[in-house]
Amino acid sequence: MSEYLLEIKNVSKFFYGLTAIDALSLKVKQGQIYGIIGPNGAGKTTLFNCITGIYTPEEGEILWKGKDIKGTPPHKIAELGILRTFQTIRLFAEMSVAENIMSGRHIKSKQKWYNGLIPTPAYYKDERENWEKVGELMEFFGLSQYATTPAGDLSYGVQRKIEMARALAAEPELLILDEPAAGLNENETIELAKTIREIRERGVTIMMIEHDMEMVMSLTEYITVINFGAKISAGVPAFVQDDPIVVEAYIGSDDEDE
Amino acid sequence: MKNISKNSMIAFGLLAIMGVFPFFANSAWIAIGTTFLVFSAVAFSQDIILGRAGAFHMGHAAFFGIGAYTTAILNVHFGWPILATWAPAVIIPVVIALLVTGPIIHLRGDYLLVATIGINIVFIQILENDLFGLTGGPNGIFGIEVIKVFGFEFFEQIHMYYLAFILLGITLFIMKSLDSSKFGRAMFYINKDDIAAQSMGISIRYYKLYAFAIGAGIAGAAGSMFAVQYSAVSPEAFNVLQSIMFFTIVLVGGSASLPGVLIGTFVMFILPEIFREFETARYLVFGVAMILTMILRPRGIWPVKFGNIPSFLKKDVK
Repeated sequence: MSEYLLEIKNVSKFFYGLTAIDALSLKVKQGQIYGIIGPNGAGKTTLFNCITGIYTPEEGEILWKGKDIKGTPPHKIAELGILRTFQTIRLFAEMSVAENIMSGRHIKSKQKWYNGLIPTPAYYKDERENWEKVGELMEFFGLSQYATTPAGDLSYGVQRKIEMARALAAEPELLILDEPAAGLNENETIELAKTIREIRERGVTIMMIEHDMEMVMSLTEYITVINFGAKISAGVPAFVQDDPIVVEAYIGSDDEDE
Repeated sequence: MKNISKNSMIAFGLLAIMGVFPFFANSAWIAIGTTFLVFSAVAFSQDIILGRAGAFHMGHAAFFGIGAYTTAILNVHFGWPILATWAPAVIIPVVIALLVTGPIIHLRGDYLLVATIGINIVFIQILENDLFGLTGGPNGIFGIEVIKVFGFEFFEQIHMYYLAFILLGITLFIMKSLDSSKFGRAMFYINKDDIAAQSMGISIRYYKLYAFAIGAGIAGAAGSMFAVQYSAVSPEAFNVLQSIMFFTIVLVGGSASLPGVLIGTFVMFILPEIFREFETARYLVFGVAMILTMILRPRGIWPVKFGNIPSFLKKDVK
């Protein structure tokens, strides 16, 4: 078994001849909080979509505990223990907060195929245990008061929490967060950083894309910087922060934005 | 438990009313009641596929018809007693549903809709061309027997009524089991956001096929009842227009909503039976009703309410 939980080796992804990810490599250790940064359109979310099976990269390898998982469908990736949140929040908006979080318990539920037709004693036990787990997570994230509220009716900050609770419900080994602080105010961001640390304390490895530099620099232990789909820098936050190439990439991108 | 008990109360209330209904009605009304029970079961089975799994399936009359023809063919051509045809009338639609929808289950929305209409059209063609001399062509099959148990014949309308009543009861029981299991929830998750559902480890293919299998099984059982009720089957009872009706019932009534689907069934199938004089005008009225519902209440007349969670999780809810 590999010493790394997740290894990306020379992964490339093309869209109609455009290179979205260009021979990218990185390694995530067990227990790390790993940051991915880079200007808009650099290919960060595409990389996450490749890891979680939404896209299949044309080249390279994605090794999970040493085994290539490239081309594995998304639902199998989740079963492996890789869970994610989305940059644009994807909750089941009309369903209640508790039901949303329960979706994360799906792969842990031991119900048999016939339990969709007829309940059995084992089913009642399983159902109860999973709802209890949902209850624990709602308490952890301070969501208990919203248990029956449709997720779509809640504020952005609360919805981000629900997404994280839902992913955590599946008891992941690797939690992939795509811009978890986007749209949050300062207080919510501080709270989020605290929550992410607590999640890591539970033994979950975390990989995150984030634009909030203050948060990334204080939270992560290792950072890879991507621009135009390729790695331009990598290292501990202090190193990356002062790397002239990184500074240039960001200033350049700011010019383009404006 | 508020939502559970509300839906259960509606279900029990309905079952109680339908249970005593024959004591206050003549045989013509009991026949209409039987039709309502049978079509309600079919509408609920469509609702599993369309309202829960969110698959745009517009060929449901085919599975209803396969159940009906299974009973008709086995009884009339092979002399099986009706009781013995029940199991095949459920199993054959399930198997056929899995075989024909398996290759098209990945299709989205409108594409799946067109493909399922195709299934229905092929089915009607098979019936009308008298496949293997079994389906009886455009006229269908006549002379289906009544149910006999130990020499006792269930020939009265009230017998059929209570059989259909039991069928609807079983259907409601299955729906409740489904909704409070990971299977029903998985269908809703796929319906609401398939990318998020997959990322939570839910196989879209498996749960959509699961929905089709259960839906086809219930529709097949209802088809078998239908065949015995009318003692005949013919292709036009299972054509695309019927499928459109089942599809519309779910959308107009309210997807995944128990009262919604019942209201839909009542309006689409029972009102026309009661007001025979409006026979010609009825489609005009329904057409307008469909348009108005979609504009004014796009989620249906009685939309589903979520929040079906155990009470111990609600202690902090204000």
